[in-house]
Amino acid sequence: MRVANECLTAPCSAACPVQTDTRGYADAVARGDYERALELLLEANPFSSVCGRICDHPCEQACRRSKIDAPVGLRALKRFVVEHTGEHRRARRARQPVLYPERVAIVGAGPAGLTAAHDLARAGYAVTVFERGDAPGGMLGATIPRYRLPYEVVREDIDDILALGVELRTGVEIGRDVTLDDLRREGFSAILLATGLSESHSLTIPGIGSEGVLLAVPFLEAARLGTTTPVGDRVVVIGGGNVAFDVARTARRLGASEVTCACLESREEMPAHEWEITEALEEGIQVMPSWGPRAIVAEEGRVRGIELKKCLRVFDEEGRFAPTFDEGHIATLLADSVILAVGQRADLACIEGSSVQIERPGRLRYSERTMATSEPGVFACGEVATGPGSAVRAVADGHRAARAVAHYLETGELLEQAPVTHPTLGELPDAVAEKVRRVAPVALRHAPAEARVTDFGDFEAGYSEAEALREARRCLACAAGAFADDDRCAGCLTCVRVCPYGVATVDKTAAMPEEMCQACGLCAAECPAAAIALQRFGTYRMREELSALLAQIPESELPRPLVVSYCCLFEVTSRSFVRAHPADLAETGIARVMVPCVARLSVPDILAPYELGADAVVIISCADGECMYPTAEQRLAGRVRRAKALLDEIGLGAERLDHWKTHESAEVSWTAFWEISKRKLAQTAVKETVG
Amino acid sequence: MIVAEQKPFGQVKEFVEGYRKIMVAGCGACVTVCLVGGEAEVKVLASGLRIAHLQEGKATEVLEACVTRQCEPEFNDPLVERIREEGVEAVISLACGVGVNLLAEALEDVPVFPGVNTTFFGGVKEAGTWLELCAGCGECILHLTGGICPVARCAKSIMNGPCGGTNDGKCELGGETACAWALIIERMSRLGTLGQLETVQPARDWSTGHYGGPRRMTVEAVQAVAKEE
Amino acid sequence: MKSGSNLERVLAAGEFAVTAELGPPMDCNGDVVLEKARLLKSCADAYNITDNQTAVVRMSSIASAVLIMQEGLEPVMQMTCRDRNRIAIQADILGAAALGIRNCLCIAGDHQSFSAAGRLKGHPGAKNVYDVDSIQLVAILKGLRDDGLQQGGDPIECRPPLFVGAAWTPMGDPLEFRPIRLGKKVAAGADFIQTQGVYDIDLFRMQMAKIVKMGLHERTAVLAGIIVPKSGAMLKYMDSSVAGVTVPAALIERMNRAKDEAGDDKTQARINQEEEGVRITVELIEQVREIEGVRGVHLQAIEWEKRVPEIVERAGLLPRPVVSEEAGSS
Repeated sequence: MRVANECLTAPCSAACPVQTDTRGYADAVARGDYERALELLLEANPFSSVCGRICDHPCEQACRRSKIDAPVGLRALKRFVVEHTGEHRRARRARQPVLYPERVAIVGAGPAGLTAAHDLARAGYAVTVFERGDAPGGMLGATIPRYRLPYEVVREDIDDILALGVELRTGVEIGRDVTLDDLRREGFSAILLATGLSESHSLTIPGIGSEGVLLAVPFLEAARLGTTTPVGDRVVVIGGGNVAFDVARTARRLGASEVTCACLESREEMPAHEWEITEALEEGIQVMPSWGPRAIVAEEGRVRGIELKKCLRVFDEEGRFAPTFDEGHIATLLADSVILAVGQRADLACIEGSSVQIERPGRLRYSERTMATSEPGVFACGEVATGPGSAVRAVADGHRAARAVAHYLETGELLEQAPVTHPTLGELPDAVAEKVRRVAPVALRHAPAEARVTDFGDFEAGYSEAEALREARRCLACAAGAFADDDRCAGCLTCVRVCPYGVATVDKTAAMPEEMCQACGLCAAECPAAAIALQRFGTYRMREELSALLAQIPESELPRPLVVSYCCLFEVTSRSFVRAHPADLAETGIARVMVPCVARLSVPDILAPYELGADAVVIISCADGECMYPTAEQRLAGRVRRAKALLDEIGLGAERLDHWKTHESAEVSWTAFWEISKRKLAQTAVKETVG
Repeated sequence: MIVAEQKPFGQVKEFVEGYRKIMVAGCGACVTVCLVGGEAEVKVLASGLRIAHLQEGKATEVLEACVTRQCEPEFNDPLVERIREEGVEAVISLACGVGVNLLAEALEDVPVFPGVNTTFFGGVKEAGTWLELCAGCGECILHLTGGICPVARCAKSIMNGPCGGTNDGKCELGGETACAWALIIERMSRLGTLGQLETVQPARDWSTGHYGGPRRMTVEAVQAVAKEE
Repeated sequence: MKSGSNLERVLAAGEFAVTAELGPPMDCNGDVVLEKARLLKSCADAYNITDNQTAVVRMSSIASAVLIMQEGLEPVMQMTCRDRNRIAIQADILGAAALGIRNCLCIAGDHQSFSAAGRLKGHPGAKNVYDVDSIQLVAILKGLRDDGLQQGGDPIECRPPLFVGAAWTPMGDPLEFRPIRLGKKVAAGADFIQTQGVYDIDLFRMQMAKIVKMGLHERTAVLAGIIVPKSGAMLKYMDSSVAGVTVPAALIERMNRAKDEAGDDKTQARINQEEEGVRITVELIEQVREIEGVRGVHLQAIEWEKRVPEIVERAGLLPRPVVSEEAGSS
């Protein structure tokens, strides 16, 4: 089968910094193949467990389903996959053989450094990661609060990487304990700096040195270690970014009853993710946008409160940071602690004693394209190089760095990596969007705010299997729809006439533009020239699948009657129903073939099982009115009538074909449908004997 | 386009009774467009035959093929070649009668059976419905009737209609069939040419149609070159 | 005189003409035809012999016409375009003329699919002909008679003296085109016209006014068709199912009332309705007679020919005039 426009990426994948095959894993989940989904995830992102929890999911922001109802819950699906494949994942771990003599040292065991370590180890290099702390993970392990990201989750990803053979040396601080030159001497041919932004910025306002004024990073680190000093009842957090909300929500969990976030930005400008703000508000945290810190109010050297001044605007006309204030508009808040979350900077101690140059304090001299520092063989990646960013961006940068380092080791040259843009689809046109059936997303369950602020427990519940299967089906499979073979197309317009979305066009031959096609497959099933195929949901694999399934049992031992059941994949709530085992077949005489929407079955598809020796075929659709695709149910009913008429003419009898609609769920009704069909066959057999 | 409809399965099956290697040959032109003889229907008929033979315990082989247009010998050549090479014993053609004739002509010793009934020259009324719109009578009179053909679309092919049977714009035969003359009058009224219908059209010369014997059409310029070769 | 037929003479003399329909049997029993002829004798000026009406195979109109001539009746031989091409039609016309037939009604003929109706199997699978249409057929007869030419152009020496008729469905659809189509029939050479059954007098009057305005009534003789109703059910059927026939609700009610008056007595109900049907027919004849351009009536009592004499009598149309050939030509 020719695949049209393979280079076109779905918007979700294009938006993902590591181009995760989003459609691929959503489809694999829908088919119950969670292991395949995990492979796809890990292929793109060794920090899939982490991203399943805290990814800022640009994929969802780009999801074209937003135009219809709401984006697909891709982050939660990812979480589901990693949570349901633990055993498989552990079993697949294997040490990677070292193929090259060159060794690589990576400084910093955060997501960027470890991703690079992962890629380089897989490429065959011996990699050692130096971490100044006791445990790997960088910010993921040290500062992101446990209620959002339990350490076991971080560890799961890191264990994969270490299992490759990556050496980890903790408690070693480069630049202090060992210098970069020492590393060179030790035999490391390349060094990658991935030390992140570990230092919190402070402010220069009166009273800043008072007791009870804290910085975000040390505060969060202490909270993860459980070594915080009491913060008191009233806490004011300065800052409007994601870290500020981590701090505020942590303070709340440490027992503060009144927590306020004050920031310069207006509510709309606040850099924190909207969901972070919402969840904080739920937890009773006050938000004071457009206020800047003026002075700490202290008594006997200890914080009593903070004076804030109204911020009129944060950025000037050119968009530069240049806040202006209404100095006459002052608010004073009482506070037992004031915690500053106003940004982070790099700790460049690692380059001490080396000739690696800096651009300005806290900033390395570094090339974005080659990732090289001023010193040959020394590279940098992650936030220390790029500035603040998300975890998944750090992973992406780690991949890039691994390519840069590997190229350097192979050739001695620097690799130019220009920014890449991935061609993708435009917005879903309104005319199509309004025809697509609305399906509410599976809502994520959060612990009630009043309960979750009492401890650092996981506040979000992952999808259950039924929920994940349901949500995965919402994927529109963008850019994976129908395409016509021009050599066969007769230009008959059948596709145009059956397309429920008004997408198909014929200009000499048929075309189903990717940005519109919903991959329902009705055109493919009805095409009289058999000229249309689906890039992802084609039914052509079914016959092979069925033959393979039947071939597992010797013909003489095939159970009789043998019933082939085409089942709508969209109706199962657990994968136990999705995967047919030869043992099931031998025992029940039911050969299950899952089809992602049975309305995609053509008449030859329906007839195929009889050719393979089946006594009957049972087609089970979605529950009445539940089909994702308009008119699909009627179209299928038409094809079933056609097939029944032919079975009558053949002399097999129309009763050998049953078409059911799922009642409630697969688990509830399918077995009953199969029993009915089997009983009917038994009666026919009796009649034939008597007759 | 030529419109055809499927022959009953039982009849087609009977045609090939006793043959062990059968080919179902579709056509990618008109019969594909009218949903009865394209690649998809080849699969359906072949599958039906295989199932029937399996039931009867007959060891037969049913091959599938579809050519661009069976009404062109050049398109049929590779098919004919394959039929000979594979030792096909009987062919069911899902093309219109033209295709069946040409394939039969090319296959001197292999029988070719029709899988469809060729019905008329028509066009789509709506998805799944085709109407007869031209009778191929050999002398077009559509300039006289507002572009609506009474030869094909009037049950009595009358030239000076409508007859007394027209009823609410429908033909006296009933059903969905429109009265061609009601359509003609409506359209010519709109065009302001109704006055033309006051002229009595004399008995026409049908010899241009099939009644004049099997027809032949030649484009002399092309024909001359072909003959020289 | 074009044909010298009795019908032509009566019309030429300015008399109000009466024709009646006689349907031949489905077998070769000529006695049936003769019997019907005797029933109808003297109550009309000429008698239409149908040509395989509703495409049901019956004794040929040409043979039946000859049979009634033996009883002294004058036939109007009906000729459809359905079953014969122009060769057969002209041959039969020439033969008919040789046998003394003088009137011919040219019609398209019902489609053969109508032959399978009720208990009849008919011949719906027959191949029809429709080589010429009814207007072309009129022109062919006129050509044989007036120009001495066959349709193909070959001259004939002995020309058939025929009085050429055509049918008209004045209330057929599309209404506004019907007078134009009548004009075409007249232009082609129709000497007389027999219309589809008329019940809706107002509508018929309107259509007649149009053809009078066109002057067609002076170029052809229009005989209003009257189908004798036998029951309310029949009227209702004709209203809903017979093309070009509309029956005013008042008439159907009249019939139903007659039926209801008999209560449960089915025989009486039939008698009542038949009586009412005859009354309605007589009234219709009187009404069409008053309409300008109507030159006579054509009575169709389908398989009920025996009531025709009474109807004609009650309409005051008896006795039928006797017009000599000389008087007719004056």
